Amino acid sequence: MDYLIHLAILVGIYLILAQSFNIVFGLGRMFNLAHIAVYAIGAYTTALLSTNLQMSFWICIPASMIISALFALLIGAISFKLDHDYFAIGSLAFSSVVTAVLINWKSLTRGVLGITGIPRPEVLGIDFSDNTNFLFLLSIFVAAVLISVGIIFKITFARCLRAQAEHSHAARSLGVNLVRLRTNAFIISSAYAGLAGAFFSYYINYIDPSSFGLHEMVFVLSIVIIGKPGSFWGVTAATFFLVLLPEPLRFLSISPSILGPMRQLLYSLILFGVVFWKRKTLFPVERSV
Amino acid sequence: MLTITNLRLKIGEMRILNGVNFSVAPGEKLGIIGPNGSGKTTLFNCISGFNIAQTGKIVFRNRDITHLAPSKRAGLGIGRVFQNFGIFREMTVMENIQLALEANHRSVIFPWSKRNRQNKEKSLEFLATVGLDNRADEKAGSLSGGQMRLLEITRAIAFGAELFLLDEPTAGVSPKMKVQIEHSLKKLHDLNKTVLIIEHDINFIQQLCDRIIVLDLGRVMLDGSSEEVRNDPRLQEIYFGTNGHGAPEHSEGQPRIAAAV
Ligand SMILES: Nc1ncnc2c1ncn2[C@@H]1O[C@H](COP(=O)(O)OP(=O)(O)O)[C@@H](O)[C@H]1O
Ligand SMILES: [Mg+2]
Repeated sequence: MDYLIHLAILVGIYLILAQSFNIVFGLGRMFNLAHIAVYAIGAYTTALLSTNLQMSFWICIPASMIISALFALLIGAISFKLDHDYFAIGSLAFSSVVTAVLINWKSLTRGVLGITGIPRPEVLGIDFSDNTNFLFLLSIFVAAVLISVGIIFKITFARCLRAQAEHSHAARSLGVNLVRLRTNAFIISSAYAGLAGAFFSYYINYIDPSSFGLHEMVFVLSIVIIGKPGSFWGVTAATFFLVLLPEPLRFLSISPSILGPMRQLLYSLILFGVVFWKRKTLFPVERSV
Repeated sequence: MLTITNLRLKIGEMRILNGVNFSVAPGEKLGIIGPNGSGKTTLFNCISGFNIAQTGKIVFRNRDITHLAPSKRAGLGIGRVFQNFGIFREMTVMENIQLALEANHRSVIFPWSKRNRQNKEKSLEFLATVGLDNRADEKAGSLSGGQMRLLEITRAIAFGAELFLLDEPTAGVSPKMKVQIEHSLKKLHDLNKTVLIIEHDINFIQQLCDRIIVLDLGRVMLDGSSEEVRNDPRLQEIYFGTNGHGAPEHSEGQPRIAAAV
């Protein structure tokens, strides 16, 4: 039972992470490889505020979301200087900078040692140290995120994002302000990623830079690509599928040192398969004047 | 309505526009012809704001828009129909129109709101005018080339544009659809919109426009009534390159112009 609750919590965190990536990548086809970096910033914000300053849940959660959203402005700035593939490289470089800072700014982050002893939150007098309680708390937030993202997918904002992904000139000829639109997309998406990071910190109690590496980015990318970029339900289903997929492997008696790499191999193979299968339609043919 | 003065544009070392001058009165229909590569599309890009000319001035409705962002110019009423199709193929036919209607409102339109319902109804009305209402929920990419053009023109009308920049709206369209497009362009006339239309088929353009300008080497070479321009001997020179600027450029428009002249 404990184990199922653990899995449910993971699914919840990845639902937030994947749907927020789905806004930027799925709707807007902006290849933002810094999404996990922003998630890390959210996680570190909550970790630092709740350990060093004993800040409460109601401070840590908004702080994580706001600080992550501020970093989105940097990503936005990169996207206005670099287009398409160059933006992917630029955001990846940004992501590496974040990782390097997390590793090397030892006085703040304790480097590779990470931050330990992150306390579980206490909200409205209820203690969430217990995983069942924690899952309940997380579920409320996941529900709120899914409902709001579901709505976002149906408003003008989503149509504008999809339009600019396909034909940015035509979108601009219909009055779409690309700078504002893309910045808003990064801000919203990053705030959600920050929220996911905060819950990750609270749940795991211990974070270090290795939790936010490229493998995590590939994982989230896989979820969105397998779920079909821009599809709300597809990405929801793919989150369940990919998070739970390697679990049966646990019941085979394989040593953990092989299990880890096997999982990553599995994900990579699936990702490769889907990208190969969908190679013609994954990205709309970008058109211009 | 629109006045362009001494517009010059260089991209890299290439001088694409070399001092373009002309102006258009409100409600006027102006045809633009010229060999391939003469800078017609680039001229439109300067008007839409995708290219910013190094020198010169563009005034639209008494406002200097030379350095304005494309979205702002669109907001002032400049609509565009692209040479390589500007519809959003991955979106439904209806969504293409909806987006144009929504663009005029800055507020968030929730899916359950009254405004969203109104916009959908209005979209269907717009689509009905070109017989596309029965395809409203299909992906726009599933339409034929001619239907896509119709959709794009309708979208610009729904957007509320006053000045229409139409870049070869009948290129690569079946003769049957061409008639339909002609029909919807005549509607622009009835709506008293101002139209700039790039077209290779001089017969087509003559039916639609009172005035034609001929662009060559990034300059306006001829400017006059359709009759005048059509009968001007220099038109042939421009298309056949006998006026000293080297070998004739191969142009898609050549045979049709030749046949027409
Ligand atoms: N972005 C660009 N970079 C470099 N050259 C360009 C660019 N856009 C257009 N050109 C060049 O400018 C010339 C005019 O192009 P264009 O305006 O598309 O001609 P037209 O529409 O009259 O056929 C062409 O020689 C084209 O190669
Ligand atoms: Mg052209």
